Amino acid sequence: MTLATQDRASWMARQILPFEPALRSWLRRKMIANIDIDDIIQESYAILAGLDRVDHIRNAKSYLFEVAKSIIRQELRRSSVVHLRDIVELDPANLAETTPCPESVAVARDELRRTEAVIKTLPAKCREAFTLRKIQGFSQRETAQLMAISEKTVEKHIGKALLTLMTTIGRGKNINRDTLEEIDADLEIEPLRLAGNQRGY
Amino acid sequence: MPTWKSSRSGSRETSEAIDLAAAGWVARCDRGELTSSEQAQLDAWAAQDTRHAGAFARAMAVNIAFTGDYPAQPGALSQTQAPAISRRQMLAAAAGVGALAVTGISGYGLWQRLDRETTAKGHMRLIPLADGSTATLNTDSAISIAYDEHLRRITLHQGEALFDVAKDATRPFLVDAGGVTVRAVGTSFAVKWTAQSAIGVIMREGTVDVVRHADGSRVRMVADTVLDAVPGDRLVVRSITAGAVQSALAWKDGQIDLNRMTIAQAANEFSRYSDRKIAIDGPGIADLRITGLYPANDPDGFAEAVALALGLNARKTADGVVLQRR
Repeated sequence: MTLATQDRASWMARQILPFEPALRSWLRRKMIANIDIDDIIQESYAILAGLDRVDHIRNAKSYLFEVAKSIIRQELRRSSVVHLRDIVELDPANLAETTPCPESVAVARDELRRTEAVIKTLPAKCREAFTLRKIQGFSQRETAQLMAISEKTVEKHIGKALLTLMTTIGRGKNINRDTLEEIDADLEIEPLRLAGNQRGY
Repeated sequence: MPTWKSSRSGSRETSEAIDLAAAGWVARCDRGELTSSEQAQLDAWAAQDTRHAGAFARAMAVNIAFTGDYPAQPGALSQTQAPAISRRQMLAAAAGVGALAVTGISGYGLWQRLDRETTAKGHMRLIPLADGSTATLNTDSAISIAYDEHLRRITLHQGEALFDVAKDATRPFLVDAGGVTVRAVGTSFAVKWTAQSAIGVIMREGTVDVVRHADGSRVRMVADTVLDAVPGDRLVVRSITAGAVQSALAWKDGQIDLNRMTIAQAANEFSRYSDRKIAIDGPGIADLRITGLYPANDPDGFAEAVALALGLNARKTADGVVLQRR
């Protein structure tokens, strides 16, 4: 598989990630049998990471939706359990509702930034590491020095903060507490407290 | 090829487990370049499952989306899309347009305000900070202030500043100066970084930790201690008397406290506060010592007092005063 380059990831950060919640919400409404939304999302990113070029993509939102639909169609063709409704729903003729209005790019990015609030729910050390590294722009090494902890621990804090953001963007299913407790045990820090006002997209 | 729920075995890897691994890899990449063996591991992991490569790409995108700036790509933008302003540019802009813009974005928590405060030569100024702390800038000094809800962050660009820090255990107070960071919770200390001196920290109350970025060395300072961070030397904290701390901070009241200082050192000290120079003309004068409290903005008055005390002559010139034998 093609590993995403920094450039491609930057493009995704600007053009794709803001629309992921919309795609998830659309997929949930479709309720297609035997598909896992997280699988579709991960597969979609894999395809976008592997494209030779993306500069021809004018409307990233519809492109993302098309990629997701192509994955589903491919699977439905291979699957023995296909509901007529699924096929109808995925017909290109029924895509009008998914064509984004232009203003929604800025709105979607703004929405995405709200996800950042979840950082507040992280334990203090994890939050401090994330803030120093990502907001203040210190390197992981400098962050380690400032906090008097090892670089390896900073890396784990960053990993945990990223996972929390990734999970929050995909909120729809709850974050698995076992997973976080595993990291917490590793870091020997207090368990993650999830915010009370979680909302799905 | 996708593997689907309908055909999955009981041991199929969950998307969450994949996200966990992907976040770990991206956090590793965020630390610095991978070793060749790590790169090989990452390649092998991504090749195992399409979802691995997808989760990695997504984790990278999340990492970039929540980092200060991602590179702008003006060519790729259609006219219907908002320009991809980097967050740092946005912050700078927000600080400029004022309260409305700041209120508009502060709800997301991690946005910070950047403010810069300066003093001219011979000036001194007390700057109240948003959390009830104060920064007092000595002559010819510059700081920038970046507060967010997790950190209170000051950068001393030059000069000297005294910080009286309001206690807030959840929000550390950091002062950066020339590769050294002083970290406090609630305390009172001064940081000095001038052309004439190494970076110095003077503690009035409380406790701070000082870290030098170049070598990672770290010391803890308590009240009535000073630190001179001379590049290449160990960071050594010295105890001084409370009186000496007051004397070192006499500038706060617009004064310079000379305690058995040589005339040359005193002239140097006055030059921080005024463009009027104290020149020394004649052998042996520079090493004479003087003690006393003098107004920082009056080098001529100081020179006259010294002349009187040490039996010298203070001759005024266009740009200062010359101390010479009678």
